[in-house]
Order: sequence, then C-alpha cells, then structure tokens
Amino acid sequence: MRFIFKNLNILRSALNAINMSFEIKEMVESAGTHLPNLFEFSAFGLLWKETSTLYLYQEESCPPSFTQEVSQNMLRVLSLLGEEPKDLSQVALQVEKRRLRPDHMKMDPKATLKSYLTLPLTIEEEIFGCVSLNSDQSNAFDAEDLQFFSVIGYQMAATLKHFQRISSIKTIAIYDSLTNLYNRRYFEERLTGETQRAFYGGSPLSLIMIDIDHFKKINDTFGHTEGDKVLQEVAHLLKNSVRKKDTVARYGGEEFVLILPEAGLEEAHMIAERIRRLVEQTPLNIGRVQLNITVSLGISNFPIHRAKSKEELVRMADQALYEAKRAGRNRVCIFSGI
Amino acid sequence: MEKGIEEKEKFWTSDRLLDLYSNLLKEIWEVVSALIGESVLILLFRLAIQKAGEKYSFLNTLKVTEEGVWMEGFGEFRTVPPLEIHRGFQALINHLFNLFSALAEGVISREVFPKVFPKLREAERILSQK
Repeated sequence: MRFIFKNLNILRSALNAINMSFEIKEMVESAGTHLPNLFEFSAFGLLWKETSTLYLYQEESCPPSFTQEVSQNMLRVLSLLGEEPKDLSQVALQVEKRRLRPDHMKMDPKATLKSYLTLPLTIEEEIFGCVSLNSDQSNAFDAEDLQFFSVIGYQMAATLKHFQRISSIKTIAIYDSLTNLYNRRYFEERLTGETQRAFYGGSPLSLIMIDIDHFKKINDTFGHTEGDKVLQEVAHLLKNSVRKKDTVARYGGEEFVLILPEAGLEEAHMIAERIRRLVEQTPLNIGRVQLNITVSLGISNFPIHRAKSKEELVRMADQALYEAKRAGRNRVCIFSGI
Repeated sequence: MEKGIEEKEKFWTSDRLLDLYSNLLKEIWEVVSALIGESVLILLFRLAIQKAGEKYSFLNTLKVTEEGVWMEGFGEFRTVPPLEIHRGFQALINHLFNLFSALAEGVISREVFPKVFPKLREAERILSQK
C-alpha cells in the first residue's frame, strides 16, 4: 500500500510539473526528470505533430541505432492511428541524454528495442502526436505502468491543447514588444517555477539584474527612438550571451534580468562578466554616431545567499546591482549580505 | 409455417450473439479504459470500427463515446445473418487487438484476453447450435 502511495505522490509531482510548463520542450524536460522515479526505461519520446518534432529524453549510453528504432516505432504507431505516414527524414530530432542508469548497467552498443508503451496524445478526438516509453529489456512494462503512463500522456495532451489555445495570446502576454525578450510577467512566473525547483530539489539557481549605465542621458541626448534602439541592441547581446536553459527578460525601463537555473555563483559571475565585456566592446550606432555603452550587473544565488523566497532572491540581486552602480558602474557585483 | 419458425430461430440466434458481443465490448471498454483512458480508447474503437466496417457494414452503426460503446438500433442488427454478426465482431476485435499490440505490445492484450476468449467460444457454441 505504501508503495502505491509513494508512486501516486511521484505521479502527482510529475503531473504538476507538466501542468506548470510553458513550452513543449520544458514539458518534455519536466516529464524526463520525473519519469525515472516511476519507470525503468531507456528512452522517453514525445512526437509533436504540429512541428514534426520528436523530443527524445534518453539514457546517455543509448546507442544511435536504438534511438532510430524508437523514432521509427513512434512514427509507425502514429500512422497506424490514421495519421499521414512520415519518414524519419521529415522529423526534427531533439535528443537530450541523461544518466538514467548506474555505470554497471550501461546499455549494450548493440541494444535493440525490446519493450515499449506508446500512446497517442489525444483530446476531443484531435491527435497532437504520441508519447512513448521504451526499453532495451524484455517485458519491461506492466499494466500498472501503462495506467500511470496513460495519466501522464493525458496530462501532456491536455497541456498541449492548452498551449495551442493560448499560443497567440501567449505571444502578446509573455513577450516585451520592443525587445522581443520575455516580459516581467513571464519572468515572475518562470522564477516561481525555477525557485520551487531549486528550493525543493536542491539545485543551484542564480539571478542577474542588469541596468544600462546613464541610459537617461542617451534618451535626453539622442531622443527616445534612439533610446529604444539601444534597448533592442542590448537585448540582442543578452540573448546571445546566455545558455539555452536561461531566461532573459526585460524587467522594466532599461533594466533586464536573467534567470540561470543550475548555475552556481562562479558560473553566474562568468556569464555576467562576459555580458559586461561584450556590451562594453560592442559599438552601437546611435543617431549618426557610434557609441560604446556600459552596463552594471548584480548577482544573487541560491543556496549561497540563503534566499527563502523568489522575492528575496530578486531583492538580493537588485541590491548587488545598486552596489555596482554605487561603486562606479560598468561592473559586476555579487550580493554581499549587507 | 416452417419458414416462420426458421426465421424466428435465426433472429433468436442473432439476438443471442448480439447480446453476447454487446456485453463483450462493454467488458473490453471497462478493462481497457482503466488502463489507457477513455479519450485514447474512443480513438482506437473508432479506428477498429472503421476498418472492420469496410467489410461488415452493420458495424458502422456502433456508437462510441466517453461513456462507452453500444449498438444503436438493436432491431436493425437482428436482420444480419448470425454468421456475419460473428465474423464482423471477430474482425472488429482482431483490429482492436492489433491496435492494442501496436501501442503496448502484450500489456493490454494480457488483461483483456481472459475476458474475450470464453466469449468467443460461447459465440461459436451458439452458432453451432443453430
């Protein structure tokens, strides 16, 4: 009985994480993080029909032949369900490899697909794609696994349906129209998810607040149109300076913020310094002149700064930014706890 | 007079088969919906009905919703010869099992087969009594 309760709790967490996702990739990652607690598998796949993308989350020792076999099987199932048959070459593959097994249980380089559970992602008679759990072991899944997996599949289908419904509204609601970065609202929501993941999962999380130095002067000298161009240029530089999993948002005015999941203080400092140097060294065409601008940056980190809430983490980064400004601008400051 | 009796017997056999298969489909629905959920099962049932219905058109009148699967217009079915009813439902069940295997190999079939096998035997017995 306890075993069932434990599994139900894990299932609940998985469903919650899927439900909280904002993007399909994030949904696959959330599922990938929780599924190993429920099932023993070699690869988990989600084939999304709309973009013909197959997201695979698999054991790091998975041989390419196994990946191919899984992909082909998912395409076969989808065509059996009445969807237009597709060739593997028509599908974009996004593979995420994770260590799902201990070293002594690594997959054989010649491993083949021995068991699978594949379910269509369907809501209100519309098929969005399919999800699949795959193993190189025979009879790896039983009826209980199927029940749990179908609940997860249903939640994913519901979330995908939700994505579809809100995709156009979402664009307006989560992006800043000037810079095309995420807006403050999205940042707040994203930070809620990331802090929960960090606080309860124990992984590090860093936050960087960035402010353009003397921005008011630029606006006053060159006008607001040129000021907007500066914001767009800085936004572009920021987007190109971070990792895929990071979130870059416009916090307001000339202030930006970065969420760096799983980044320790050292890594966050490295990223912040890289941004500072890049902005300093990139000449911007403002009006008829070329101008070099600078930015000040403040960093806070969980768990090092012992923030107990997302608001506290933001306040700490903001305070560090204030320190950077006070110390002469064009610099990176780490929250000092004062 | 004899023709009338023969006709009645035929209807009686058809009715018994329809009753048996109607119950079997309900049982399959109950077991499999608990495993994979109604929305996926609706899809599978509709695909199997469409496929089997190409040859056995009477199957196209089967209705599938989130509540389950049932025969609408039971009276119309009874005019179908008993052997065709039997073969039609066998084809439908085969298509369903093919889909179950495609999705989950033997996991679903293992749960459903104990329900299906005795019923198919029973159907054959009814037909042989005719």
